[in-house]
Amino acid sequence: MPFVRDILNHNSLSIVGLEKNTGKTVCLNYILKRLNELGTHVGVTSIGVDGEQVDSVFATAKPEVVLYEGTHFITSEQHYMKRQTVSVLEYVDSHRTALGPLVTARVLVRGKALLSGAATTGILRTQIEQLGSMGVDLTIVDGALSRLSLASPTVTEAMILATGAAVSANVKQLVSKTKFLHNLILLDEVDSDLRERLSVIPSGLWAVDDDGLPHDLGIASVFLIDRSEQDILRYGKTLFASGAVSDRLLRILAAKEKGITLIARDFTKLFITPEAYVEFTRRDGRLMVLQRSKLIAVTLNPTSPQGFLLDSASTCHALADALQTPVYDVKKI
Amino acid sequence: MKIKELIKQDAGFQYIIDSMELMSAAGRRKMLNTEFCADADTLRAEWQRLDQAIQATKEFKFKKPYIDLRHCLMCLHDLQGTLASLANHTALNEVELFEIKNLAQMAQTAKGAIAGLGLAEFLPIPDTTEVFALLDPDHTGIANFYIYDSYDPRLTPLRRELNALQTSEGDPIRISELLALQNEIQNEVCLRLSDQLHPWTETLVTTLEQMAYADFLLAKADLALRWELTRPEIGDTIEYKGLINPRLKERNEKQNLRYQPVDITLQPGVCLITGANMAGKTVLLKSVGTAQMMAQLGMYVPASKAIVRLLEGIVTSIGDDQDEMNGLSSYAAEIIKISDILRTCRSHEMLVLIDEPARTTNPVEGKALVQSIIKILNTLNSFTLITTHYSQLGADCRRLRVKGFVEDMSDLPLNPQNINRFIDYSLTEDNSDDVPHEALRIATILQCDLEMISLAKKMMNEE
Repeated sequence: MPFVRDILNHNSLSIVGLEKNTGKTVCLNYILKRLNELGTHVGVTSIGVDGEQVDSVFATAKPEVVLYEGTHFITSEQHYMKRQTVSVLEYVDSHRTALGPLVTARVLVRGKALLSGAATTGILRTQIEQLGSMGVDLTIVDGALSRLSLASPTVTEAMILATGAAVSANVKQLVSKTKFLHNLILLDEVDSDLRERLSVIPSGLWAVDDDGLPHDLGIASVFLIDRSEQDILRYGKTLFASGAVSDRLLRILAAKEKGITLIARDFTKLFITPEAYVEFTRRDGRLMVLQRSKLIAVTLNPTSPQGFLLDSASTCHALADALQTPVYDVKKI
Repeated sequence: MKIKELIKQDAGFQYIIDSMELMSAAGRRKMLNTEFCADADTLRAEWQRLDQAIQATKEFKFKKPYIDLRHCLMCLHDLQGTLASLANHTALNEVELFEIKNLAQMAQTAKGAIAGLGLAEFLPIPDTTEVFALLDPDHTGIANFYIYDSYDPRLTPLRRELNALQTSEGDPIRISELLALQNEIQNEVCLRLSDQLHPWTETLVTTLEQMAYADFLLAKADLALRWELTRPEIGDTIEYKGLINPRLKERNEKQNLRYQPVDITLQPGVCLITGANMAGKTVLLKSVGTAQMMAQLGMYVPASKAIVRLLEGIVTSIGDDQDEMNGLSSYAAEIIKISDILRTCRSHEMLVLIDEPARTTNPVEGKALVQSIIKILNTLNSFTLITTHYSQLGADCRRLRVKGFVEDMSDLPLNPQNINRFIDYSLTEDNSDDVPHEALRIATILQCDLEMISLAKKMMNEE
C-alpha cells in the first residue's frame, strides 16, 4: 500500500495534474479505497467541476469517484442530484455556483458521485475548515484541468502530483516537463524568521537586506518593474516577490547582476518556463520559497486521451530516476 | 416608491443603505423593497417597534438571545424560489426540502431568541414545528435531511441489498437497477412531501419574511445607536434642530475636522438657499433629503430634534448627469430632470431638492428659467429647496442664506482641508434679493493663480 500512510499525517491533501487526463481521479479512487480500509474519516471536494462521467474536452470515458460509508463530500446541487449513493445532506451553502449551491453530505451507502466545488482557493480554504469542524480527519481536494493553485501550502498541507502520457507522448519530454515542476515544488525554503517577516507583506516586490529585514522597493507589481528608475538591488541581492513570478522578472534579474536570490511565496506563484529558469540559474540566480509543499507522491497515467499508451514500467523507471523519488502507475497501484 | 428606486438619486441615500449592517440576503431584499411610507399610523407603529428593538439591543447586545438571533439571521437563506415552487405545486428536490427543514428549525430558535429579547409581540414568528416534524420522521431533532427509510417501506430492504452489493462489489447491473428503483421511490417521496408541505406555504413565506424583517429592524436599531439618531415627530412642517449629514460627519471625524449641525424649518412652497461656494448648500439639500428618506422608511433621523411632514416621495436634481454617449449635455440632462419634477409635483406632494438649476447655460436665459421654476413650485404643496448663485431673481419666496465665511480669518495658510474652520454653516433668514459675492475671495484663499484673480478684480471694478 504505497504512500497512503504518509497522507495520514496531514489534514488536507490536493491531487494536481501536470495536464488534463493525467489520472487524478484514478489516483483519488485508489486513495479513498485504501483510507476506507484504514477507517479514516475522509472529506472530499473538488476545485471547479470534476468527476464528469465523460471528459468534456476530449469526450473520453472518465472514471467516477467512489465514496465510502461515512465519507463527507462537497458538491453542487445539480451533481448531488445525480449521485449513485445514499447520503444525508448536512449543510447547504448560501454561496451559489453555476450548478446551484454547494452542498455537504455524508455517505450512508457506498456509491459513485460527481464532484464539483469552489472556484476559488479562498472558498476552498473555508470548506476544508468546515469539513474539519464536522469531524473529518483528512480532506482531499481533487484538482481540475491543470490548475495548481489548490496545491499551495496555504490551502492544502500535502499534495500528489499526477503526470502521464497526456503531458507528452515522448518519454524524454514527459520526464523533463515533470522534472521541471518537481524541481519547483522542491525549491528550498527560507528560514522561519524570514518567513514570518515576509509572509505578512501583501503585495509588490521587496528587497531583503543582509540582516534579513525587508524593504519596500515601491514597485507595486513585478509587472511594473521596468518602469522603476531606482536600482532594485540597492539593499542587496535578495528579493521577495509577494505575488506572481514571471519569465520576464527572471530575465530582468538575470540581466541585472549575477547571484541574485529571488524568494516567492510558494511554487504555485511561479509562472515560469524552463528556458527562463535556466537563464536565471546560469547567472547563479537562486529561487527560494517561503513555504515548500509537502509532495507525497508522483503518479503516472501511461494512457493519453488521444489513445496511445506508454510502456508503464520503463516510463515509471525513467521518471523515478530523474526525480529521485518513487513513481506509481495509477492503473496498477 | 421603493427604497431601491430612491437610492438611484444622487443625494447620498446609498450611503445610508450601505451603512446598514444586515446579516442576510433576505434582510437586504426586505430593506430594498421597503416602500416609502406616507401613512402616519404605519410609521408610528414602526418607530414603536424600532424603539423596542433599540431598548433590546442596548440591554442584550453581548448576551445570549441577541447573539442567537444574529446567528440565525446569518444562516438564513433567501428561499423565495423554493417557496414559489412549493406554492406552484412543483415537486421539491432533496436540497430544497433540506432548506425548508432548516428554515423551520431556525425559525423556532429565532422565536425563542426574540422572546428572550422581549420582542415577541412585535416580531411574531409562526410556529413551524409541524413542518420540521414532517421532515424529521425519525425524530432526530437534527436539521440534516435525506429520504429517510421510514418514508417508504420499500427503502429499507432496497438499501440493505444495495449496501451488501456495493460492499462486496457485486453485480453492477443489479446495482444500477436498485439505484434506479431508489431514485424512483425518492422522487415519489419528494412529490408526496411537497404535497404535504403545500398547505404550509403561507406559514413558511411569513416565517421567511418575518425573519428578514427582524434582520432589517435589528440593523435599523443598530444604526440608530451607532449614529445617535432621533425619533421624529409628525407635523405639518419640516423642522430639524441639529441636522447632520452622516456621511460628511464621518469624513470630518476621520480627518479630525469639526462638524457643525444646522437648524432648518421648511414650509410648503419654495425655499431658496444662497451662500458662498463651499458653504455647504449642496450638503444641506442632501441632509434634508436623507433625513426625510430615513423617517419615511421607518428609521430614526440624524438630528437632535425632528418634526417631519409626511410626503409622497423625494425628487432631486443634484449632481451632473452629463452623458456624451446619450448626446445629453449637462444642461439638457438637467432640464429634462427638472421638467419631470414639475410634472410629478403637479399631482403629488413631494420633497423637491434642486441644486443650482440652469448653472450650465447662459445667465440671461438661465435666470429666467430659475424664476419660472420657482414661480411654479411656489404655488404647489410640495416642499422645495433650491440652491442658487443667481441674484435679483425677484421671486416671491422664502430665502435662507448660509452664513458662510466668518470675518475673523487669521492669516493661517488656508487649504481645502482646514477651510471649514472659517465657515459658519448655520442658516439665516435673508430678505435681500442679493447673493454673496465671494468667488474671488475663495479663489484667493485657495491660493489660485494670482494673475487670474487680480485681472478678474480689475474687470469687476471697471464694470
